[in-house]
Amino acid sequence: MAFIRISGEPGSRHEELARMTAQRLDCHLATEVGICDTIANEFSGLHGIPDRAWPHLAASILAKIGVERHVVVSTVGAERLFRDYPATLSIHVTAPESRKLSNLMVTRGLSDEQARTLLFELESEAASMRRRRFGSAGKRGQSYDVMLNEAALNVEQMLDVVEFTIRSKGLLEAGLVSEDDEKRFLFESRLKLARFGIVPPDRVNVARKEFGHPSEEVFANLLDFYRIAWDYEPRSFPLQWDKDGKVLEAFTPDFYLSEFDLYIELTTMKQANVTRKNRKIRLLKAIYPHVNIQVFYQKDVQDLVAKYGLPERLAR
Amino acid sequence: MKEPPIDRVLFTAEQVEARIRQVAAEISAEYENRELKLIGVLKGSVFFLTALARELTAPVKLDFLAVSSFANQRGGMPGVVRIAKDLDESIEGEHVMLVEDIIDTGFTTRYLMQHLATREPKSLSICTLLDRTPRRIVQVPIDHRCFEIPDRFVVGCGLDYKQLYRNLKYIAALNVEAS
Repeated sequence: MAFIRISGEPGSRHEELARMTAQRLDCHLATEVGICDTIANEFSGLHGIPDRAWPHLAASILAKIGVERHVVVSTVGAERLFRDYPATLSIHVTAPESRKLSNLMVTRGLSDEQARTLLFELESEAASMRRRRFGSAGKRGQSYDVMLNEAALNVEQMLDVVEFTIRSKGLLEAGLVSEDDEKRFLFESRLKLARFGIVPPDRVNVARKEFGHPSEEVFANLLDFYRIAWDYEPRSFPLQWDKDGKVLEAFTPDFYLSEFDLYIELTTMKQANVTRKNRKIRLLKAIYPHVNIQVFYQKDVQDLVAKYGLPERLAR
Repeated sequence: MKEPPIDRVLFTAEQVEARIRQVAAEISAEYENRELKLIGVLKGSVFFLTALARELTAPVKLDFLAVSSFANQRGGMPGVVRIAKDLDESIEGEHVMLVEDIIDTGFTTRYLMQHLATREPKSLSICTLLDRTPRRIVQVPIDHRCFEIPDRFVVGCGLDYKQLYRNLKYIAALNVEAS
């Protein structure tokens, strides 16, 4: 297993670089949100998980993923995970303040003043998280194998540098985690987590979900093409319960785009057959008014087919 | 030319011309005596950009860029959007306006804005001929728009269907099934 750890200054495009690296090298992408979701699923929420236990818990989860796939880790303090593991690379992205501000202004549609406020908040939050998880907010240059500066390189060029470094170090040929290594690693994690009274999960479900319809796979490819982060069916929303609180009906949107806090539902069936789905979406909006969801109906998909030159069979 | 299979004309040639004049007047007032660089996105924006530029009274420079197309992706390594044709000149310190034919999902515009922002222009704004908001996924800050349109596939004034109908002087909803 190779662990490619990509971190960066708040406001820099390190998350985009991590996503593109995982995509180009066919690695599992472990993001802050993804790791926290996995921990929350295993422990029925993040409550009761001390911040200082987080690095050990994250490492034990990532080690299990590493048995099956190479991993790109993109979290605050990623450089502090797997420091002693041989097949690893730590990359850090830095950027001048003007570049970070323009990144935030463009990607989030903010004014200069709003971007400055947000950047300050993001930097404070990142420092606070480092302090809570690792005991100090500081970053040391020697923790990183490669430092990339957005003032000199765009994301495509950074990606080329990362890929070249990974290949020249032979990280992808290092092989996945052996069962013995995994056992040893998990034993060490278990010991560290025992201090917090936490037992790490035996299994982590990281199987890639199968797309329910070819149009979903092409839509995912379209999002990848435009470098937009997505999750496939990450969450189900209960819509009806019986008197005992058991969920009778739920709705699972196809995609979640975390950058825009937006769910996307693709509907390729005939318009006449979408009544049931429309009812569910109306219910979803009524019960969860804070949830943003956009529905693409058959005609929308047809137009995407025409606009982006997707395979025409998807429109049917 | 083969008759386009249109459902209906959304905006006549006269309406398009009049609206472009209005928007050009707004932009001219905004950039009075300041140099403005219009950046067109090939190929769709060419017709709109030239019509707009002719009506502007502010001093104008032009440049063009093009992005790789999802439709041209082939098997092998997964593709990501790239600049297929970059700007010919630097935009550092300039007032820059990205000129689009249509913004719908916002995918391409977002990527282009990110790309242009790294070149450190003095200001960066967006002007689009058509704004199809029902299809928006990525929110992009549009400074000037000529028309908002419904959720229809449209052609004309630079917009094509399989590279046809860009040169129509009007904007029409296309009957995709009949085309």
